[in-house]
Amino acid sequence: MSRNSKPSRSPNAPMIDTDRTSDPTSNSKSPSSGPSSQHSSLSAPRKHNPDAHPRRKLRSQYPRGEGENHVEYILVASFDIDKGPVMEHQYPVAITGDEHMLAELMLPDQAHVRNQDWTIFFLHKDTSQEDEETEEKEEKRKRRQKRKEKAAGILKSDDENGTEEDEPEAEDSEDSEPEGGEGPPLIYVLNLVNTKQDKTAKRGAVVKAMAICTRHPFLHIYKPLLLLALEEYFKSPHPATLALLYEAVNNMDLSLMPRLTLLERHLLQASDNKDLFVEKFEQMIQIRMAEDRGEPPESVAALAESPERRVDLTRNGTKAHVQAHSMYSVPRDTHEFETKVVYNGIAIPIKVPVAISPETVGDFSLIKLIQTFAEPHAKSPQPFPLHPHLTTGGPYTHPIIVLANAMLTQKRVIFLGYNRPSGEVAEAVLAACALASGGILRGFTRHAFPYTDLSKIDDLLKVPGFIAGVTNPTFENHPEWWDLLCDLPTGRMKISSRIEGAPLTEGLANFQQQNPGYPVGVTSSTQITHDPTGDAAFMNDVLRSIAARHGEGAIRAKWRDWVVKFTRIAAAFEESVYGASALYIGVEEAEPGNESVSGHGYVWSDEPSKLRELAGGVMRIEGWRNTRSYYSFKQDLAQLYNFRPLKALDLHHLHDRLRMTKLTPVASREIYLALSKYTHTYDEICQLLTVAPESHAGLFYVALGLFHRDKDVRFKVVDLLERISEHEAGRHWWKALSHFERLAYVRIKREAETEMRIKRENDSFGIGLDDRRIS
Amino acid sequence: MGGQISKMMGKIFGSKEMRLLMLGLDAAGKTTILYKLKLNQDVTTIPTVGFNVETVTYKNVKFNVWDVGGQDKIRPLWRHYFSGTQGLIFVIDSSDKVRIDEARQELHRIINDREMKESLLLVFANKQDIPGAMKPQEVTDALKLTQLKDKIWFVVPSCATTGEGLLEGLAWLSNNVKSPPNAPVKK
Repeated sequence: MSRNSKPSRSPNAPMIDTDRTSDPTSNSKSPSSGPSSQHSSLSAPRKHNPDAHPRRKLRSQYPRGEGENHVEYILVASFDIDKGPVMEHQYPVAITGDEHMLAELMLPDQAHVRNQDWTIFFLHKDTSQEDEETEEKEEKRKRRQKRKEKAAGILKSDDENGTEEDEPEAEDSEDSEPEGGEGPPLIYVLNLVNTKQDKTAKRGAVVKAMAICTRHPFLHIYKPLLLLALEEYFKSPHPATLALLYEAVNNMDLSLMPRLTLLERHLLQASDNKDLFVEKFEQMIQIRMAEDRGEPPESVAALAESPERRVDLTRNGTKAHVQAHSMYSVPRDTHEFETKVVYNGIAIPIKVPVAISPETVGDFSLIKLIQTFAEPHAKSPQPFPLHPHLTTGGPYTHPIIVLANAMLTQKRVIFLGYNRPSGEVAEAVLAACALASGGILRGFTRHAFPYTDLSKIDDLLKVPGFIAGVTNPTFENHPEWWDLLCDLPTGRMKISSRIEGAPLTEGLANFQQQNPGYPVGVTSSTQITHDPTGDAAFMNDVLRSIAARHGEGAIRAKWRDWVVKFTRIAAAFEESVYGASALYIGVEEAEPGNESVSGHGYVWSDEPSKLRELAGGVMRIEGWRNTRSYYSFKQDLAQLYNFRPLKALDLHHLHDRLRMTKLTPVASREIYLALSKYTHTYDEICQLLTVAPESHAGLFYVALGLFHRDKDVRFKVVDLLERISEHEAGRHWWKALSHFERLAYVRIKREAETEMRIKRENDSFGIGLDDRRIS
Repeated sequence: MGGQISKMMGKIFGSKEMRLLMLGLDAAGKTTILYKLKLNQDVTTIPTVGFNVETVTYKNVKFNVWDVGGQDKIRPLWRHYFSGTQGLIFVIDSSDKVRIDEARQELHRIINDREMKESLLLVFANKQDIPGAMKPQEVTDALKLTQLKDKIWFVVPSCATTGEGLLEGLAWLSNNVKSPPNAPVKK
């Protein structure tokens, strides 16, 4: 048995609070909301099952009456017979920046050969001026809100008002995930172009495009609206048509969509369960219904805690819902919030994703991207010219791995779709960004050009490591413009003949010095027979999953795992060659009594397999260490650490040890006791669930503790499982547990209760009871 | 020597390939010429947004013809199509005397580019069916082709809708091309 039991050598390890446990029987401290506080998860005295639900007040992702618009601009451009692309109208105001460039992007190459085409592109808009405007707006909004409240008689004293207003901000800072730190959020543009043959027009056709500019990454929801609005614009080409659409989309009501914390988002993304967090949707509606009845805010708050007062809510699409004609309904699937946009008298149903990972823009398909390049590779594999960063598995590295490597090491990647609609290349670019990010790494979409053309080439070439989609085959004739060309029609990738080689780095030299026995990288002479990175096995698994129709969610989860594994291996590599890693933030030393569970990081079954995997990954890890995604990941980790409810342990590491290694009863005892000791609050249990996703057998390995040799361990595991089964999200994990393990749980729980009773009878006054939480 | 052999093989087996770039002012008839060659049909075209590219086979030569939109705002993009071009087809609307000077400026700008040094120049004096259209000699003079040094050029009167002159132009290109583009040149 081998495990990473080295003390962590994180350069920025925080101070430790030695008696920090979240055991509610210990003296509780009052909860504090300071993000840097080590005590943030210490709970208040226990009421009936208070940790099943978060204590935060539930809020909306897009509250009613907030200043922020869903859509910021609507644009219309057309192809002028004499001048080429021109901008016709912009609403509500002209977007700053190069108008002509925008018009060119809105009229993609070869728009004239198809009746309809979609494109997506991003604008990097400087918000400095806009920020001031937003601030002003925010001020106005607050004043307006105050007036409204006064008018409604809600506002009693200034005092109360103060707390009302300050509170959400304090929570915002606690809940919101860190931003990428690379400037203002992008403006995403969804564009529809139509070509209409028109005998009356000069040269027989009219080409027009309409675009919606939004800061929401789920821009695909506007597709049906653009279809209707552009049709309308052909009939009446006036700014009023734009205004109509602008009003309609900005009146979309998302205020009943609950805001989730980072951990909750992770759980929802990784789960296929359609009921996960359904409580939050119900609660949003309860609060709204109480508001509608004109109940004062206190009773609304109380409502959330008294389920008996809840009116029965119906699920959208169910018979009960249709019969009851209720105004509010809970979505069919908690992954999607259902709402509508009323445009021109037509109610268009809209589904908005509830939990969005970073770098996920639009409605691409990873499956489609993978299949496009996997099928030709499976039929007749073609060797790649070797490049240390890209062909990590030899000349026959799977092209999708080559793509992922290229993105991780910040190469210039072009997706070419000659004779394909530009929407198709845009989707491939967005899918590639999500693939490389895994929802973990950032900095890809910000440098992505989902659709671009020759006219932007000079600007494009100024961007290091871009990801661009084009339809013009002339790009293929310019290998000096790209490092990796992914041709969509043929499903082949090409490594540029002009690609820069990989530099020799310090980390590589150190590794070779430390481990001379392990060949690093791939030379033309070495024939890769084994699979040092495990990527070949991974791709086989992904392809099997696709063939078995496991669905997009499952494939995205697999890639997420791949990226997480990559970052954890990179951390292990840094610790091994540099002595410390900025990719691991945790405690410097174990708490007293915790030494045996203080390990952290990726878990290998033995030392040789660790070295083999590190050797296989050295080149691309070293290639990654200079990229934007590496730097922002480092920052994100530091910020995320502050949000992490449980800081003293690396739960992922502990759970992996249960999963992947053979443990002695003594070692597994330590882990089970630690898990039970440290996970109590709502957030701590969320954190535990994120490392035991349903796709990795869920609670199976935790529940194995029910069969531990030692009775006290079994009892503690019963405790833990009980908490999880009452937890808002955990109850779904609990339900998925095998019958066998659940029977064991019932048996041991009964045993524990009997023992407790006997003990209580023996020491009639309950002195010396260690554990009175067993209920 | 390898190049020589493959050139001979090309001659014997007819696997010659040639990359052509077709440019000209907007509405000169480039796309109509392209589809007349490709489909032997008179298609009604609409303005090209960006480009068209088609492969046309004539007398065992595969012509890769790039047709790029001609509006003045997008002309700066033409240069990105230059590299590897063996033949430039410049299309003139012979009935548009007003813009012939503009056409001349654009043409000279293209062929003075370093990347177009090796390229042949074929000019289609198009739209000969329109009464009063300039004759080939007039076009030659207006474009000042005689001033060009080190350039192999040829003017063909054409009518894209009927196909008149088009094949003659292609034949001239295939007879004058120097080396096949995609043949592996080994030394």
